Amino acid sequence: MTNPSAQIIGQRVPKMDASAKATGKATYGHDVRLPGMLHGRILYSRYPHAKIVNIDISRAKNLRGVKCVLTSADNPSHLFGYGKDNRPFKAIARSLRDEIAGVVAIDPDIAEEALELITVEYEPLPAIFSPKGALAEGAPLIHPERKSQSNMFHSYRYAHGELEQGERESDVVIEASYTVPYVTHACMETSVVVAQFDLRDHLTLWSTTQIPFLLQRDLSEALGISGSQIRIIQTAVGGAFGRGLDIYPYEPIAALMARKVGQPVRLAFSRHEEFTAGPARQPVEVKVRAGAKSDGTLTFRDVFCMLDVGAYISWGSVTPLVMMETTASLYQVPHVRFQADCVYTNNLITGAMRGYGNPQSTFFVETIMDRLAEALRMDPVEFRVHNANVPNSETPQGLIITSCGMKECLEAVAANADEGAKHNASAPVSNTARSVAVNRPLTAKDSPHLKRGIGFAATLNVGGGARIYRSDGCGATVKVDDFGHVTLITGSTEIGQGSETVLAQIVAQTLGAKMEDVTVLNSDTDIKPWDVGVHASRTTFIAGNAAYLAALDARSQIFETAAELLKAKPEELLSNNGSVTVKDDPKRSVTIAQAARSRHFKEGGKVILGEGWYDPPTKLVDKDTYKGNISAAYGFGAQMAEVVVDTETGKVRVLRLVCANDVGFAINPMAVEGQIEGGAQMGLGYALTEELLVKNGKILNPDLLDYRLFTSADMPEIKSIIVETDDPKGPFGAKGVGEMGGTPTAAAIANAIYDAVGVRMTQLPMTPERVLAAIMEKEKTE
Amino acid sequence: MRPFNHFSPTTLSEALSLLAEHNGKAAMIAGGTDLLLKMKAGLRKSDVVVNIKRLSDLRCLTFDAANGLKLGALTTLRELTRSPIIFEHYPALAHTAHIMASEQIRSLATVGGNLCNAAPSADLAPPLIALDALVSLIGPAGERQLPLADFFTGPGKSVLQPGELLKEITLPPPVGQTIYLKHSPRAYMDIAVVGVAVRILLEGDVCREARVVLGAVAPVPLCAHQSEEILAGQTLTDKRILQAAKTAAQECSPIDDVRGAAWYRRRMVEVLLKRGIKSIQ
Repeated sequence: MTNPSAQIIGQRVPKMDASAKATGKATYGHDVRLPGMLHGRILYSRYPHAKIVNIDISRAKNLRGVKCVLTSADNPSHLFGYGKDNRPFKAIARSLRDEIAGVVAIDPDIAEEALELITVEYEPLPAIFSPKGALAEGAPLIHPERKSQSNMFHSYRYAHGELEQGERESDVVIEASYTVPYVTHACMETSVVVAQFDLRDHLTLWSTTQIPFLLQRDLSEALGISGSQIRIIQTAVGGAFGRGLDIYPYEPIAALMARKVGQPVRLAFSRHEEFTAGPARQPVEVKVRAGAKSDGTLTFRDVFCMLDVGAYISWGSVTPLVMMETTASLYQVPHVRFQADCVYTNNLITGAMRGYGNPQSTFFVETIMDRLAEALRMDPVEFRVHNANVPNSETPQGLIITSCGMKECLEAVAANADEGAKHNASAPVSNTARSVAVNRPLTAKDSPHLKRGIGFAATLNVGGGARIYRSDGCGATVKVDDFGHVTLITGSTEIGQGSETVLAQIVAQTLGAKMEDVTVLNSDTDIKPWDVGVHASRTTFIAGNAAYLAALDARSQIFETAAELLKAKPEELLSNNGSVTVKDDPKRSVTIAQAARSRHFKEGGKVILGEGWYDPPTKLVDKDTYKGNISAAYGFGAQMAEVVVDTETGKVRVLRLVCANDVGFAINPMAVEGQIEGGAQMGLGYALTEELLVKNGKILNPDLLDYRLFTSADMPEIKSIIVETDDPKGPFGAKGVGEMGGTPTAAAIANAIYDAVGVRMTQLPMTPERVLAAIMEKEKTE
Repeated sequence: MRPFNHFSPTTLSEALSLLAEHNGKAAMIAGGTDLLLKMKAGLRKSDVVVNIKRLSDLRCLTFDAANGLKLGALTTLRELTRSPIIFEHYPALAHTAHIMASEQIRSLATVGGNLCNAAPSADLAPPLIALDALVSLIGPAGERQLPLADFFTGPGKSVLQPGELLKEITLPPPVGQTIYLKHSPRAYMDIAVVGVAVRILLEGDVCREARVVLGAVAPVPLCAHQSEEILAGQTLTDKRILQAAKTAAQECSPIDDVRGAAWYRRRMVEVLLKRGIKSIQ
């Protein structure tokens, strides 16, 4: 695939949108202003489960500046969403985030004031706040209209091998229970949408979605209009991380509002609303049993998960597929049983979030791995390498693993462990201290309450798409104009991950164009070809292959004309740095622009327009067995965490996180490091500080004060190691890396805590209070 | 946020008459880092906001060896972290301000605001009380001065009367060494789960004077007098320090909330006080 003389792929190219974002010039969703634009606000339910007996909107309607008030009476007759269980406004509230009414006004403050003037008479219904309670006999049904007449949305059941045989062959068996919490994306930009209908009744929606084409489809369903009447324009996105992977009621609500008032309507969430009405990562209760032989070979894994999916079903309810993948295919395990029950409750809605089930499952799988290694008295890295996935293999689940650098990743992080010990002997273990003398650093040597430990964890993630929809494809076109300017129009979406830059590098490299001559258009469904969306770490691989194919097509058109001009054959040509040259006679050369002009400006001329469509050679998993090759490539990674635990306060400080990731080939090493570090930041928060505290369906900490994101001041030193395995199907050998950065972090830290103080943490986040309680419990039993 | 009337008086008397005119219903704004959050969240509704930032009488930062420190209520947290006077004579205050919030918020937030907001977790209260701070309040009835230790009456509540404002804080010349230790999950941008200030005057091994003030473990910043008594006049052995730490943990009355459990807070009082005293030793 490579063009030997070019130097664009593999380079540390700064992100194309970096300066616009750093200077505040980028136009985010919150910056969109249209002439005549009005503002919408939403009234949410006062009860987690209640029937709306009566709703009086007259006072709100009469407030000066209010344009209209909508309720469930304004709903189209269609249900929408992944589980077809949602409506814009609710006549029966099933959670505290349920939309009861909406107001459109000339400014957001008036709309807010109008909400207070709406009188709602509720008839509270019995509510359920735990999956167990929801499945208990006689539990009230959250969606009584469902045929199943049960609060169980779906029970995923998977098996390979013979569990009993695995147990018989085990010399050690470990059993443990785990609890992982609700966490949320906490995007810097809160959810926002602007909706406008034109006189043809066509809707334009300015949106921060990750799935413009699926949203187009979902909205058409929700509104009862054709998808061809819907145009989605994506703004610069101030954080997505999976939040944008679904349709949410506020989107059809904004459309209904805009249609009713005949003017554009903007609906922007407050930070409080972002917490309370936005999606969260599913909390999971897990029971795990796993075994190994005395020679260190894994025998079986038996996992039971209970997921609280909330009152409505999103794409997030499919996350058990990923938990299943980790359970069945992270390391070679001959006998596996997995069950995940997704249960409706009256709690908050849950959705997709970076890793899509993998952070949850990697936490329990990788801490169990550590316990098995300990029980076998084996080195935790050797034990992992012994059982690691290997190149050119097929897992019992049917994953076809081609390139695989799992062993290399484990060995790379392990090589850094010793360096850590040396590094730590003399260095301070507290990095909060500044110039103030009273807070001088404590060193491990003179502070007996500070204990150091290291821990490891590995991860497996899809890296070549993930077929969870009938198509996993992406389209692209490459246009070259008469100045030699190259425009890539790609179906994929930029959500801050840097896809624009990587795709431009692929196109520039393939065409032999200059990087600065490439522009990427990726934000308008009326212009760009179809793509399933940004998820599953798929963009570099899928959209990269599509862009490559389109660039190749455009290049052949350029070469065809250049060959005529240079009196050579197309196969004798190469292109580099904006020029096409005869390989064996470099003096014979034309610029791409010259070739383009020559092709355009003549009778019977043509434009240079290359097209590409890439849909990977994968399958939807079998609907009964869940087996099948869901991705065209798999990414691997490993992390080593070095921590200091304060045995008196339970506080865990991560000193270093060493992250190795097999990305196939790093098209842009700087962007890869960005993904690894950004992922690690989310993984650290999941491990140590982040948790939505929920009681009776209500979030107790819906603000950035008490929902503790991991800040830059808390960040440890992060070392990113890029492992390259040259994937056979990836563009230039590349695989996805978007989600792996944070997946093994919690497990690596938990294992490091055990190394430091001998307690096994089974609940996230590992707060000082929980760690201290575990240490005290251990002291009690000793 | 709802619209409100905003007044920006330039003299103290103008400000006091504005406050009197609105009969204690006006909100006072200096840095606004607490007030505006409350107003945006609808937790505080006020039709009138009086900006006190222009009042030069509320600005000063002076020190002399005989009388100690005068600190205007409008002193920002950032000024505390950057002032050579504070750094030289009251380094614990510089340290405390440094571990509060972020540089941006510290540039706006004021000492007076942190105290008048009267959060039990207010970081500046414990070290200031430990340093025997007095507060000067001024209102329709004139000016009065009282110990900061007597200023707080409950969460969000103080002795401030309607129309009265906090003018300045005075500290006597520093005696002994002071330290403030804060427990919070994050390094910065965090509220204290527990805050412990301790001031010790040592003469050889003997503690001549001790102040122990606890934050976020009672309805108000709490003076742990029993703990102080255990320390005062005594040689600070490990055993005695531990006894004082355990006593302080019993003196406070923490609650369970989203930031921490009561048992954990008591435990942290013990650990932080022990560490604080030892670091002064």
